[in-house]
Amino acid sequence: MSQWRGRPEGGGHFALWLIRSISLHAGRRVARLILFPITLYFVLRRGPERRASRAYLTRVFGRRPSFWQLLVHVHYFASTILDRVYLLSGQLQHFDLRVHGLEQLDAQVDRGCGVLLLGVHIGSFEALRVLSQQRPEIRLRVLLDKQQTPAMTELLHALNPEMAASVIHAGQDSTAVVLAMREAAEQGALVGILGDRAREPEATQRVNLFGGDAEFPVAPYQIAAVLKLPLVLAIGLYRGGNRYDLHFEVLHESLRIERRQRDVQLQACAAQFAARLEHYLRIDPYNWFNFYDFWNEKLEAPASDAADTGMQPGERA
Amino acid sequence: MPLQTPAEHELAELLVTSLNLDEVKAADIDPDAALFGADLGLDSIDALELSLAVSQRYGVQLRSDNSDNKKIFSSLRALSAHIQQQRAA
Repeated sequence: MSQWRGRPEGGGHFALWLIRSISLHAGRRVARLILFPITLYFVLRRGPERRASRAYLTRVFGRRPSFWQLLVHVHYFASTILDRVYLLSGQLQHFDLRVHGLEQLDAQVDRGCGVLLLGVHIGSFEALRVLSQQRPEIRLRVLLDKQQTPAMTELLHALNPEMAASVIHAGQDSTAVVLAMREAAEQGALVGILGDRAREPEATQRVNLFGGDAEFPVAPYQIAAVLKLPLVLAIGLYRGGNRYDLHFEVLHESLRIERRQRDVQLQACAAQFAARLEHYLRIDPYNWFNFYDFWNEKLEAPASDAADTGMQPGERA
Repeated sequence: MPLQTPAEHELAELLVTSLNLDEVKAADIDPDAALFGADLGLDSIDALELSLAVSQRYGVQLRSDNSDNKKIFSSLRALSAHIQQQRAA
């Protein structure tokens, strides 16, 4: 269930330092050139991530992806990591950022009682930075585990200390976390959480995603129900080049969960969430950034690495 | 089982009603038993719900940055003592 915790943070300290130095000094166009060798290296050397990518793409496409498609998948991921630097430091002029459904978010925010913003490891959550231009008065407070993502935390502190200071630390005792979310919501903030990875011993529900059952955490729905917060889905799809499509969609305006029917209701919430993820991933499948065995298929390393990359001996990437 | 004080009993009633614990009788909650995990089996979502009910009833805010949270939420007795202390302050 929490296999992702055992994997090295995608793009560790060194990679992030490298990307940050190059991107800030050489500009986005040059920095993007460097992503090609990084992508190739990652696909060839990180077996578990490669197998996870293939398993996912096979589900979406209905057939085994080509080596090129594996590269595109990782290149999307690398691109969004690079773009984090620009997005977090507020250099939005590099991007063609299109926002969809902002009026849905606006309507919830204007009630002034806080909003629970549900993100996912799809595309770029950092694309939310565009809100700081469109609605500068809105306070965004994101839940982030400092211990689990030290490189990301460091980057955030370096590029955007103000945003870093507003982070709610997910690593603390879970009661403290939910109380901190309550306090943030009471101040009218947008509270950002990610809805696709559960931490032990968090409760989950198994629901279908692309033809297989996967576990999704249910805490977001429970918290929304207890705090009477609207739950709004936020997905920043990367569309290649410099384009991002940021989608907002109200999932639940006022969610009520009865203790007696809790499991059934939470299952329905998770199933609906998974269905929406499918919808957005069908638009641009390479945005899925859960590079681990999401469906718990026990993806195994084959005998030969050449066979695993999908390349014939002698074939060049 | 140790006896509940009147304040603890009132809090136990609030706990049972706010969390809709149909199968639990307020008077049966051992004031020294663990609220979370083994004994009553509450989780952090229940703690959140309880914190709302406590603010409403007693006007006491259970804060996320209180370093004693673990102790405060450890048992009915500890929680009740904390609430009484906050009200007196």
